[in-house]
Amino acid sequence: MRKFLSAKALIGLALVLTVVAVAILSPLFIAPERATQMVMSARLQPPSLAYPLGTDQLGRDLLARVMLGAQTSLMIAVLAVGMSIVLGLPLGIISGYFGGRIDNVLMRIIDALLSFPALLLALTISAVLGPNLQNTIIAIGIAFTPFLARIVRGEALRVVQMPYVEAARAAGTRDGQMILRHILPNIMPALIVQATISLAFAVLAEAALSFLGLGTQPPMASWGLMIQASRQFLDLAPWTALVPGAALAITILGLNLLGDVLRDVLDPRVR
Amino acid sequence: MKRREFLATSIIATGALGFGFGPGPLRAQEPVSGGTLIWGHSETTQNLDMHQTGTASTARVLQNIHDGIVTINSEMQVVPQLAESFEVSDDGLTYTFRLREGVMFHDGSTMTAEDVRYSFERLRDPETGAVNFEVFNDVDAIETPDDLTVIIRMSRANAPFLARLAENGAGVIMPAGSGDIQGDTPTGAGPFRFVRREFGNEVELVRFDDYWDGPAYLDGILAREITEPTVRLTGLRTGELHFINDIPAERIAEVEADPDLQVRTWAPLNFDFVNFNHNLELFQDRRVRQAFDLMIDKEMLMQGALWGQGDTTPTPSFPTDPARNSDIAQRAQDIEQARALLQEAGYAPGTLNVVFKVTTNYPYHVDSAQIIAEWARAAGVNMTIEQLTWADWLSQVWVDRDFEMTMMNFFTIWEPDRLYYSLYHSTGGFNYRNIADPLIDELAEQARGEVDPQARIDLYKRIQQYIYDESLDVVLWYRNGSIAAQPSVGGLDTVVHPNGSNLNFHKVWLDA
Amino acid sequence: MAYLVSRLMSVALTLFLISIVTFGITNILPGDVAMMIMGTQSNPEALEGLRQSLGLNDPLLVQYGRWIGGMLSGNWGASLLFNEPIAPLIAQKVLASGLIVVMTMIMALAFAIPLGVWAARHRDRWQDTTSSTVALLGLSMPDFFIGIMLILLFAAGLGWLPSSGFVDPSEDFLGAVRHAFMPSLALALGLMAHLTRMTRSAMMGILNQEFIRVARAKGLPERTVVWGYALPNAIGPVMTVAGLQIGYLFGSIIVIESLFSYTGMGWLTYQALLNRDIPLIQSTIFVIAAVVMLVNLAVDLLYRVIDPRIRLG
Repeated sequence: MRKFLSAKALIGLALVLTVVAVAILSPLFIAPERATQMVMSARLQPPSLAYPLGTDQLGRDLLARVMLGAQTSLMIAVLAVGMSIVLGLPLGIISGYFGGRIDNVLMRIIDALLSFPALLLALTISAVLGPNLQNTIIAIGIAFTPFLARIVRGEALRVVQMPYVEAARAAGTRDGQMILRHILPNIMPALIVQATISLAFAVLAEAALSFLGLGTQPPMASWGLMIQASRQFLDLAPWTALVPGAALAITILGLNLLGDVLRDVLDPRVR
Repeated sequence: MKRREFLATSIIATGALGFGFGPGPLRAQEPVSGGTLIWGHSETTQNLDMHQTGTASTARVLQNIHDGIVTINSEMQVVPQLAESFEVSDDGLTYTFRLREGVMFHDGSTMTAEDVRYSFERLRDPETGAVNFEVFNDVDAIETPDDLTVIIRMSRANAPFLARLAENGAGVIMPAGSGDIQGDTPTGAGPFRFVRREFGNEVELVRFDDYWDGPAYLDGILAREITEPTVRLTGLRTGELHFINDIPAERIAEVEADPDLQVRTWAPLNFDFVNFNHNLELFQDRRVRQAFDLMIDKEMLMQGALWGQGDTTPTPSFPTDPARNSDIAQRAQDIEQARALLQEAGYAPGTLNVVFKVTTNYPYHVDSAQIIAEWARAAGVNMTIEQLTWADWLSQVWVDRDFEMTMMNFFTIWEPDRLYYSLYHSTGGFNYRNIADPLIDELAEQARGEVDPQARIDLYKRIQQYIYDESLDVVLWYRNGSIAAQPSVGGLDTVVHPNGSNLNFHKVWLDA
Repeated sequence: MAYLVSRLMSVALTLFLISIVTFGITNILPGDVAMMIMGTQSNPEALEGLRQSLGLNDPLLVQYGRWIGGMLSGNWGASLLFNEPIAPLIAQKVLASGLIVVMTMIMALAFAIPLGVWAARHRDRWQDTTSSTVALLGLSMPDFFIGIMLILLFAAGLGWLPSSGFVDPSEDFLGAVRHAFMPSLALALGLMAHLTRMTRSAMMGILNQEFIRVARAKGLPERTVVWGYALPNAIGPVMTVAGLQIGYLFGSIIVIESLFSYTGMGWLTYQALLNRDIPLIQSTIFVIAAVVMLVNLAVDLLYRVIDPRIRLG
């Protein structure tokens, strides 16, 4: 319990909750137009009273954009990680639970896929499908699947060997029941930890993809896009890069801290 | 009709490309020999074969390796280069070129009529995959009665032929039989010789001492490919680079005011226009096209996307082209009228959805699209932007013609036949907008075969008026080109080719 | 011996699978190279002619066979867009990126190990928290963002380092290092976070053990205990993690190299992807995946050799 109250946990939680709150609430308080409204006479303005975080090269309010951008970035990350779980969970469980040849074959394929850096996979898939919001989610989701499948498999293997699980199997429980009642609940903790850490990477991946021009599309206010657009104006107007960069850092930091804490609490191996 | 008038058929103009200067540092005027110029080039070079390459970036570098049979001067007149003189028959069917004697190629051989014949035949041959092969469509035969004479016989009059030869892509002369090595080792008769290309990194050229027009001052050129604009500018400032091209538009004012750097800006580098896919029923209605024309405040858009580095124009003709129709004025923005027109055409506010495809290859296009989308919204149109990589844009828009609206630029199309035929004729090679208008077809074909220069000019002016009246495209502006250099670089005024895009370093020097 | 053979066969099998995935992905890419070569000067006839001569119209199985056969016999084909043979191109670019990877590793370890040891020694006190914070900050900022800030600081601001480009190490080693410095630093700061934490937890685990207490009881100075006895045992897991990070590094390198115009494997792959240069895409992706796999294999084997239960003294 003490772990929940450590400074690290509190900060992590605070950061993540802030970002989530901004993501959920800001569309209610800030009209979406604020993020795309251009004021040509106020381009590349440094932070001021009228524009607390300054404006970008098309005169758009950075505060509005960065807050609404939270929604985009988080949504993409959540959906992408969700997708990797939907794809990777069954793969990992089947592999770990049934073992034997199925495991061998599946793991061979997963290992081959794991040799491709996730970002490279995401980039290639995005290039194949054409970069836009949905395809960014799909690209990141598919790219993260092998890693997740591997983790799930590892956990499933461990759980399958636990005494009471062996007992249940000896008692004749059907496979479906085994998986749902015994395997799944026991891998949940590790899965939650991994999902949190994956969220951090997904946010990072979306930013990188958008930065390379293979992610979200303008005039959407995603943080990666904002950094990409700021590339030209770095020494003229560094805040155009610093604002989304800081937002990214805060989010990723919060998620990492949270993941750390969750691991300390939930991961059975550390206990 | 006198031959001389026909020669001037391409363009006579009083001004060259309009140039702009900054205060700049004071510098010595005397050329000195020596030194290697380090050039921060904004784009990566691709295929080095002058016949096959289609990109302005590669042409910019190859400009220094290859000379053509003719070229254009700053007044956009066709003048001899590797040829000593040329004549065209009154009926426009026979072109006679008398070649210069003693022109050396980089491989040591001397240019003869055989090399000219080889180069043109190679270009014509569909197997070569040459980008400009259609220049020679009307050519019947190429004869070489002696070592220094080339006669080209046409099957019918082709007024722009000579002007097309002035483009390096078509008129370049390569040593006979060198076709196979041109992709690895471009070899020509230009002021610099190719040494090596380190893919994606740099191209090294060295002075060709036997250049027919006198050796260059520079010992060599190192063209380093630096696509990041800030990095390029920083490189110039820190002295890593002597010379850069393509300063980001928003920095030009600041660099011009910098007393430690020389800057040249000029118009035009290219023109930009907004396109409609004419195969869509939506855009077959002139009212809809005009509505979009009226949504755009061209001046403000240029300020927004180009930071004022350009000139708005209603027609894509080069500013110094006598065939340019200066009577047309761009439509001013009128959102109310736009909305009314759309309503009339059957699209109530909020009911029209349009996808605007734009390429990240030109970041200012992306900015433009966002601004246009805002105006579209004010006029009741839901415009979605699709950002495509250059490869995707070429694939979807250029080849497959799968798009609704888009925008694009074109460099170096100063020759009116090339401009209006390729872009607007129903069979034109650049007509990705599917424009199929019988009147334009008729006018363009007529102009191509029209031998009288004034009659030709009138035809092109009619075409421009028609394009404007029908809002076939929405022509936006000419974009400024820019180069900047360290104070030690001399001869900066000779660098930019009259076509507005290529760069030639023959008369450039580095102070000791 | 048998183990080695089975590992080798496993490697071959994985490489085969990698090649299939690579081929599969690259051939679903829309758009084609012929059109990229011609740009906006293209027309349908010229395009078709070019496509035919480039062999783009042959059935997929034939193209795959041609590719594999070529690779095995040492002929990796030519980059369609740039007319350069691929094998020497990739060889040079692998070296270029290799320089970055090596420098990144050195920098990251040079920071992480002392920091991790320091944190472990002063566990749960302010030193620990500080080092964790510093590490986490490095982990949280996207490396391309760090790269941008480095450019601003060192190139534009102070003018100490070149802001872009690449120099061949075999020609000018010092120049090569100068150009690779900032890209490597940008990557190292992120990697350092991981390794610091790993060092810290490994050290903490070891410092608790019996043999350390024995060494201390013998009266050995603390410094010797930590650096001479504990650390060598912690190195194993740390190096393992470092090795496994190389896979991730090769992903990040794509972005970093593009940012710095540093023409290594990452930059090459990205350009190939953008330009639909199929042979180049296939080769670069395959090489990256193969390198990552081999590195992972090496780390795995090394791990078996450097058993963390080995002790000294």
